[in-house]
Amino acid sequence: MNATCSPSTCAPATSGVTESLRKPLYNVNGNAEAYEVRVEMPGVPKSGVKLDLEDNILTVRGERNTTVPEGMKALHRELSPLSYILRLRLNTPVEEDKMTAKLEDGVLTLRLPLKEVAKPRQIPVL
Amino acid sequence: MKLIRTNPSSLNRVSDFDEWFRHPFAGLPSLGQFFSNLGEVFPGVTGDKLAIDVHEDKDNYFASFEVPGVKKEDVKLELNSGMLTVSAEKREKNGDNESSYSLTRSVSVPDGVNVEAIAAKLEDGILTVTLPKAEHRKPRTIALN
Repeated sequence: MNATCSPSTCAPATSGVTESLRKPLYNVNGNAEAYEVRVEMPGVPKSGVKLDLEDNILTVRGERNTTVPEGMKALHRELSPLSYILRLRLNTPVEEDKMTAKLEDGVLTLRLPLKEVAKPRQIPVL
Repeated sequence: MKLIRTNPSSLNRVSDFDEWFRHPFAGLPSLGQFFSNLGEVFPGVTGDKLAIDVHEDKDNYFASFEVPGVKKEDVKLELNSGMLTVSAEKREKNGDNESSYSLTRSVSVPDGVNVEAIAAKLEDGILTVTLPKAEHRKPRTIALN
């Protein structure tokens, strides 16, 4: 998975239809090398994840498969069937081409490596 | 470090649904129940309650739980005198810190479930428990003589 995507995979889903989305739980950690963003998106298969980075805004979408198989009916619902959207503004330059994403057990982990200029550096005392 | 967090789906939890399986067609709880359960807004220290969805088809009941980030080996299912208890231990690593918290839910298994054949599957952070209906509980057509 890559942050850069073709227009077909990242087309905005606003074709006159109002979509109901919710913000997932997420966590951001960082060190001197990279930021790590963990987004909880249970129910989202790998094919349902869409990532986009534009103008320092990172957009993460997770589409749940909400089709109920034939002959199956809901008796009781507490879980939200809504798909997820998370927008994060990045205030630090990151290496877009080196971003990685991994989906495991319903948790998406993004690694955003910092650009050299953004890394902390030691200034020697002369 | 021990971290207790609120499960987002528990925020719109309206009631304790443990009774649900006893009355599969009872429908959604009333508003009155919602207000009587406001005390539950603050989760206990021992573990938050897992939200549940229940579906059925002609052969099975399906109970689904959201358990993002939980590994298969950290899920425990226990059947004890008609009560099915699901516990999920969630471990998170944030840098050098490791935190964990547990989520749990008990439901009464309805009559007419073949308890020997209950099966569970974990996929994309969703735990699905399949409870097969016993033969005599399946819908059938009765022929007219």
